[in-house]
Amino acid sequence: MSWIFLIIAGCCEVIGVTGLTKVNTSPSFSSFFMLIGGFILSLYFLSLSMNEIPMSIAYAVWTGIGTVGSTLVGMYVFDEPKDKWRITFIALIIVSVIGLKLVD
Amino acid sequence: MTLWFLAGFFDYDGKGNLFMNWFLIVVSAIFEVAWVIGLKHSDNVLEWMLTVISICISFLLLLYLTKKLPTGTVYTIFVGLGTLGTILCEIILFDAHFSPMKMVFILSLICGIIGLKYQTSKLEAKEGDKS
Repeated sequence: MSWIFLIIAGCCEVIGVTGLTKVNTSPSFSSFFMLIGGFILSLYFLSLSMNEIPMSIAYAVWTGIGTVGSTLVGMYVFDEPKDKWRITFIALIIVSVIGLKLVD
Repeated sequence: MTLWFLAGFFDYDGKGNLFMNWFLIVVSAIFEVAWVIGLKHSDNVLEWMLTVISICISFLLLLYLTKKLPTGTVYTIFVGLGTLGTILCEIILFDAHFSPMKMVFILSLICGIIGLKYQTSKLEAKEGDKS
């Protein structure tokens, strides 16, 4: 269950980061709401997941999911380039997260 | 020597002070580690308040720094210090044990995050050149 909370926390962080991008480009109430709401929910689920997962692993995985997610949003929503190095690093992050889950 | 150091510290180059900015990355990473510890170990109102304040400080500092220094470099140092800081604190303060396999996966995770951030900021810099 903790790992599911951790994944939810990562997804909420992506919402927060997307809100941040939108606040920078076109500030509006909804983008502020995404930014604040996303980060608050994200931190809440991160703290829940830390009940069972060691904090350093939870933190590293949370950062990893957030980075991968916001890159994917950038690629598919904001039309950023899908170059091969970015895909390679995304794969490395996903493999590491799965590895950490398996040895946990 | 002291004079040279002070001159470097106060010299304003239009991007904010360079030495000051590198110093601030370390400060923001320390606050990042502080709130991660707070999120797991806080159990009264005061500790939760300190945790929230640390979150705000590290977040705002990071936002400020990515405007002053190359984003990829800022993230590299920030993510590296943040992750290694939480691992060290967990081992030193809370007696945690890490198996070698865990360390390998955490390190490869950090490499992936840093590489991805670096590549993204490189692509953004290229975009900036075109427009």
